[in-house]
Amino acid sequence: MTAVGPPCSSESSFMSPSMNAFLSEYDHMTWLKYIYDRTVHIMSKRKSREKHLTVGECVSQVQRVLRERFCHQRLPDKPVGLESQYKHLLELLRRTAVHGESNSVLIIGPRGSGKTMLLRCALRELLELQEVKTNILQVHLSGLLQTDDRIALREITRQLQLENVVGDKVFGSFAENLVFLLDALKKGDKSSSRPVFFILDEFDLFAHHKNQTLLYNLLDVSQSAQAPVAVVGLTCRLDVLELLEKRVKSRFSHRQIHLLSSLTISQYRDAFRAELTLQDDFPDSKFSQEWNLDISKLCEDKSVDEILQKHYNSSKDFRSLHSLLLLAVSRVSVSSPTLRAVDLLEASRMSSADSKGNILHGLSILELCLIISMKHLNDIYEGEPFNFQMVHNEFKKFLQRKSHSIHNFEKPVVFK
Amino acid sequence: TPRHATPSIPSRSLPARKPGNVLEEARARLHVSSVPDSLPCREQEFQDIYNFVESKIMDGTGGCMYISGVPGTGKTATVHEVIRSLQHAAEQEEIPSFHFIEINGMKMTDPHQAYVQILQKLTDQKATADHAAALLEKRFSAPAPKKETTVLLVDELDLLWTRKQNVMYNLFDWPTRRHARLVVLTIANTMDLPERIMINRVASRLGLTRMSFQPYTFKQLQQIITSRLNRVKAFEEDALQLVSRKVAALSGDARRCLDICRRATEICEHSGQKGAVGLVGMSHVMEALDEMFSSSYIAAIRCASLQEQLFLRAVIAEFRRLGLEEATFQQ
Repeated sequence: MTAVGPPCSSESSFMSPSMNAFLSEYDHMTWLKYIYDRTVHIMSKRKSREKHLTVGECVSQVQRVLRERFCHQRLPDKPVGLESQYKHLLELLRRTAVHGESNSVLIIGPRGSGKTMLLRCALRELLELQEVKTNILQVHLSGLLQTDDRIALREITRQLQLENVVGDKVFGSFAENLVFLLDALKKGDKSSSRPVFFILDEFDLFAHHKNQTLLYNLLDVSQSAQAPVAVVGLTCRLDVLELLEKRVKSRFSHRQIHLLSSLTISQYRDAFRAELTLQDDFPDSKFSQEWNLDISKLCEDKSVDEILQKHYNSSKDFRSLHSLLLLAVSRVSVSSPTLRAVDLLEASRMSSADSKGNILHGLSILELCLIISMKHLNDIYEGEPFNFQMVHNEFKKFLQRKSHSIHNFEKPVVFK
Repeated sequence: TPRHATPSIPSRSLPARKPGNVLEEARARLHVSSVPDSLPCREQEFQDIYNFVESKIMDGTGGCMYISGVPGTGKTATVHEVIRSLQHAAEQEEIPSFHFIEINGMKMTDPHQAYVQILQKLTDQKATADHAAALLEKRFSAPAPKKETTVLLVDELDLLWTRKQNVMYNLFDWPTRRHARLVVLTIANTMDLPERIMINRVASRLGLTRMSFQPYTFKQLQQIITSRLNRVKAFEEDALQLVSRKVAALSGDARRCLDICRRATEICEHSGQKGAVGLVGMSHVMEALDEMFSSSYIAAIRCASLQEQLFLRAVIAEFRRLGLEEATFQQ
């Protein structure tokens, strides 16, 4: 069960852009909302049926709730610590949606700093307005999926449901598609046509396309009196503006939203506590109270604090914290229903294990001997490259001098 | 494919809101897309291009012109304005009427698509690139009575470069035909493009009618913003001057200037209380400038975790020790 942890979290981060593409038709936000509603629904059903669950059920509930929180990256109610950036982005998107003003913006931040979370939160809040909900069109693109302009263009045409789309197939050649899309955008005007949000995930990969045609055209539309668009790019490269061509750069409005985590250690501790605390809508209130009490006790533990400090020093992003917590939470079972400091210690040891050291552990004696002789050679000749013959000679010297012919293998065996 | 589908974006259910207060009004005016009727500070260039095109149309001859300048100096806007006023003159029957066609190198997937687009805009028929080239060739070389002059605007010329350069060659060769009556205006960023990438026979056909757009000076930028605002009182004088000086010192890009002003109005709106809308002052402009110009590398390093900072320290130490700019990971 524990081994499932890291691949699971990485899978969820990898899946999200592709899901975007698949689900855009149904609209990602509504999908998330649907899942959320369903869980709430199930929970309330459980609650009405029985007030007190057995310990086993409670534990499985806790596992489910927390795993959903860590793996599926569920949206928090409000972005934490990013209030000003959130306000800026929300205001920008609102102006595009309501006033028909064209904008372009780049959200820059290291991996795992909550770029997608920020954007989704802003979109969620925007879509709650009735006026906005019926008006805007969204196009989600990802640099990992749309690896060249041809595919990206097809995707845009499909997601906008332009007239040359039949079903899910886009007709016409690449050049025709481009002309068609540009004509469509040119026909629109500021006040009467529906605003389009272009959301470009992995923006820096779009800058590697040939001539940056797609970026030029999107930004050019945002700078001229055509259909209102908002181009939102998400990237983790700080030097993304240097990747752009001069004319593309000139058309970009140079609004950047930086998400740099200025988290202090005490905020990190708070985040740790908040991530593990159960919400009020948990079916068994007695169990959740006990759990939360345990968590707050756990937060004051010295050894836990040390682990947190160590993780904080190695990286500040939430994703690594999540994978640590996932490992720890998966050790909670019926026999030990609370999260203990030992679990956390074990999880930390597992996540910071040295993979090369583990590989060395699994080697046979002969292989280890060879590695030792390689080490000798490296020490004597200081970084000079060596071949098998040299290693073998070194190994033979070792056999002659010290060992009692136990490891006296044939050369082909050593070679193998 | 539906053959004659009219491309369009679905229209919205209720129209966009009109700007509510002074700042919103200013912001709408400052948006780059709202091109004013007459461009300030480009009168000389306007006159030159106008005279060139007008004389060609009057004489019924053809010719080429090459316009260059860094992005955001008003090249495309000026040419469009020239065409607009020429079309106006043609309606008044002061000059013979003419066709206007525009292509943009960036909006094509392949240089040869230029033929297709030109043909489609001239005669509204679709063809493959080779076929379109042949048709255009025939059209421009055969004499026809009562042929109208065609003005062709080629934006982002440098992207039409192919290895054999036949697209450029054709574009510049057609005007030299006796019956073509074609005026080609080309726009690109670099001044020495003809010498750099064109082979001799192409460059010689382009001719020597060149024009270069200089980057805007700070006075011109200031004038542009003032004319855009057009008596909407939203900015302090000093704030405008600061923006234009800063931008002029860096690039002279009018787009950048307008974007910064727009951002400053936003900042002003947020800092002020509800209802009370003040002028955009120095502090707002300073904040916007900082936001758009400053590099964030230092902030990023400051926010990095301890281990990452230690790694950077180690890299610096290694650099000091060896004096080399590259180090292997082992060191």
